[in-house]
Amino acid sequence: MNDINSFLSRLNSTINFSTILPEIILIVGLITIVITDLVNKGKNAIFLYKIFLVSTLVSMGILFYQLISVIAFEDLYTNNIFNNLFRFFILICSFISVLLSVDYVLCSKISLAEFPLFKISAGLGGMILSCATDLITIYVSLEFLALSSCFLSGYTKRDIRSNEASMKFLLMSGASSSSLLYGFSLLYGFSDGQVQLDNIIDKILFSQYLPTICISAAFILAGTAFKLSLFPFHQWTPDVYEGSPTPVVAFFSVTSKVAALSLFTRLFRLIFPYLSNEWHIVVELLAISSMILGNLIAVTQRSFKRMLAYSSISQIGYVMIGILAADLENGYASMLTYTFIYIFMNLGTFARITLFSLRTGTDNIRDYAGLYMKDPVLTFSLVLCLLSLGGIPPLSGFFGKLYLFWHGWKAGLYISVTVALVTSVISIYYYLKIIKLMLTKTTNPVDTLKTYEKQKSLVSSVISTKLKSSVEMAMILCALASTLSGLFMDPIIKITRNTFF
Amino acid sequence: MNLSELIHEFILALIEPGILVGSIGTVSFINIANSTFSLGLVFTCISLLYFALNADFIAAAQLLVYVGAINVLIVFAVMITDQSVSSDSEKRGIGYFTALGACSILFLTIVCIFHKINDFYSSSIHQSEYLKLNLFEKNDVQNIGYQLLNKFLVPFELASLLLLVALVGAINPARDEDEGKDIAENKKKSFVSSTSPRDKSSFF
Repeated sequence: MNDINSFLSRLNSTINFSTILPEIILIVGLITIVITDLVNKGKNAIFLYKIFLVSTLVSMGILFYQLISVIAFEDLYTNNIFNNLFRFFILICSFISVLLSVDYVLCSKISLAEFPLFKISAGLGGMILSCATDLITIYVSLEFLALSSCFLSGYTKRDIRSNEASMKFLLMSGASSSSLLYGFSLLYGFSDGQVQLDNIIDKILFSQYLPTICISAAFILAGTAFKLSLFPFHQWTPDVYEGSPTPVVAFFSVTSKVAALSLFTRLFRLIFPYLSNEWHIVVELLAISSMILGNLIAVTQRSFKRMLAYSSISQIGYVMIGILAADLENGYASMLTYTFIYIFMNLGTFARITLFSLRTGTDNIRDYAGLYMKDPVLTFSLVLCLLSLGGIPPLSGFFGKLYLFWHGWKAGLYISVTVALVTSVISIYYYLKIIKLMLTKTTNPVDTLKTYEKQKSLVSSVISTKLKSSVEMAMILCALASTLSGLFMDPIIKITRNTFF
Repeated sequence: MNLSELIHEFILALIEPGILVGSIGTVSFINIANSTFSLGLVFTCISLLYFALNADFIAAAQLLVYVGAINVLIVFAVMITDQSVSSDSEKRGIGYFTALGACSILFLTIVCIFHKINDFYSSSIHQSEYLKLNLFEKNDVQNIGYQLLNKFLVPFELASLLLLVALVGAINPARDEDEGKDIAENKKKSFVSSTSPRDKSSFF
């Protein structure tokens, strides 16, 4: 008894449990889901989703409370605003993406219970990755996120494209995380056995070991650029996005990118400050190539999900400019605001695609022709989200891009900002192409939308009861957020300003 | 040499031929099952080597992970594949000699590096620093356990959750879906047939 008491008191002194309380709530939610499913023997699976949503909401509430009263704490977790904001983003991503995935999973007649389990575990991995400050926690949480995402992408196991997508994702993520681990091992070796990021910087003699530090930086860059799908590590993105089920793609395209962004920023900011010239140039090159490649190839795509995959590659290119443009007075404000807006734009677009593919079962862009006649609500909300992605005023995407490019220009990244502006115009072209297709009447003899009403009567008995609830709620939330955040830009910027570390 | 060093050398002389014989057997047995078992012999002898070198935790980890998990997995995979017995080992093309050259260069490099390190550490200047590192702690495992629950608590617990999710995720694509289909059929029937809950959303 004495041992347990002393152990608990020592434990409480090393880790302050209130700092990881959001993650603990998610873990409790995970265990509750497993046990509830076991007890219920597979019936009443909607209840599991409610558990998930409740635990995510409670976790968000506690995190919000912590954001307001910042608790400074050392060791494994540092609770500065940067980390907390990223944890908040990931919770928002999980919440909205589960809202839009309930109907899809119901209709595809696969077992429901493991889906919220994998989503919670991926969200948990992302949250711990956002505030981990030692190499081991970073690696374990990154693997947690990657493994759960891999299981999610292979969830519809009867679909052969889903199998292919999850195989590709598993193999390539394994290769990239081994490269990341090699970079970490070099850092661990040269800093005399230190694992914490701060201690590594203290102990490494940068002047003496410069070539090896450069090699380590290159390997770490390769490992993290895979998750961010920067060029040339983007090859997995279109195939995995096209093959996985659509709500899972929505989840991927925001959560793993947001978590990888926080990892990238923290690693490169903390560990390689002496190399900042070198890695700035390399990241600038990668960002420029991602923007050019993403936007140019997205023009030629015929599948909506594949086009969104390429467009998300280019969006990450824009965000890289924000990372490079961080300076003392503004911190990472531009990157954080654009990430916040990007989450809502992307999730909104995927919500509408999910709804459309539930109703017609197709993913081709050509089949969106004349959607205005059949379903004006869907059309207008899709128009809003696509315009926000393109960056048209007065939607919030415009303000996010404006802030990003302005900071980039101020920081002296003239080439990147010019390329970003040009490729933004190209992206407006392909978004407007889709909008024009939707708004005009079609003369195509093969009209997929002719079956729109017929199919609606078959599956609408299942969907329409929930239509007013989860997917439409997600749609409305994202539409509101993508339009109105432009107006509320100033408070958002003020919050994200103080994030330089 | 005194008695303990003599015993040490004797044990090493027993273990090392085991590793050699096992690895030669792995690559040259015609029957694949024989070569996987000799791979198991190699792993076991390596773990005995770790015991002889006073690294008890690593020896136990080697036995558990390599022999107990990885070798068992390889044996499992070999046993369920259809094996065609023909092996065309008489043709020695250009690939054979390239691999031979590369492996011998690698081997010579490693031998040279070990010699240099040995010379470096056996010079008397570094002997005192070496002894100061106090490498002969008897409570290796206790130390590791202490660190796991204090410094590395978060990754440790996270790794256990990772195991749970990995288990669920591995079984999920592999299991039989008939029961799932029946349950889904029942749910769909109950949705279509009942009219009044259709207006109310069953999500809330």
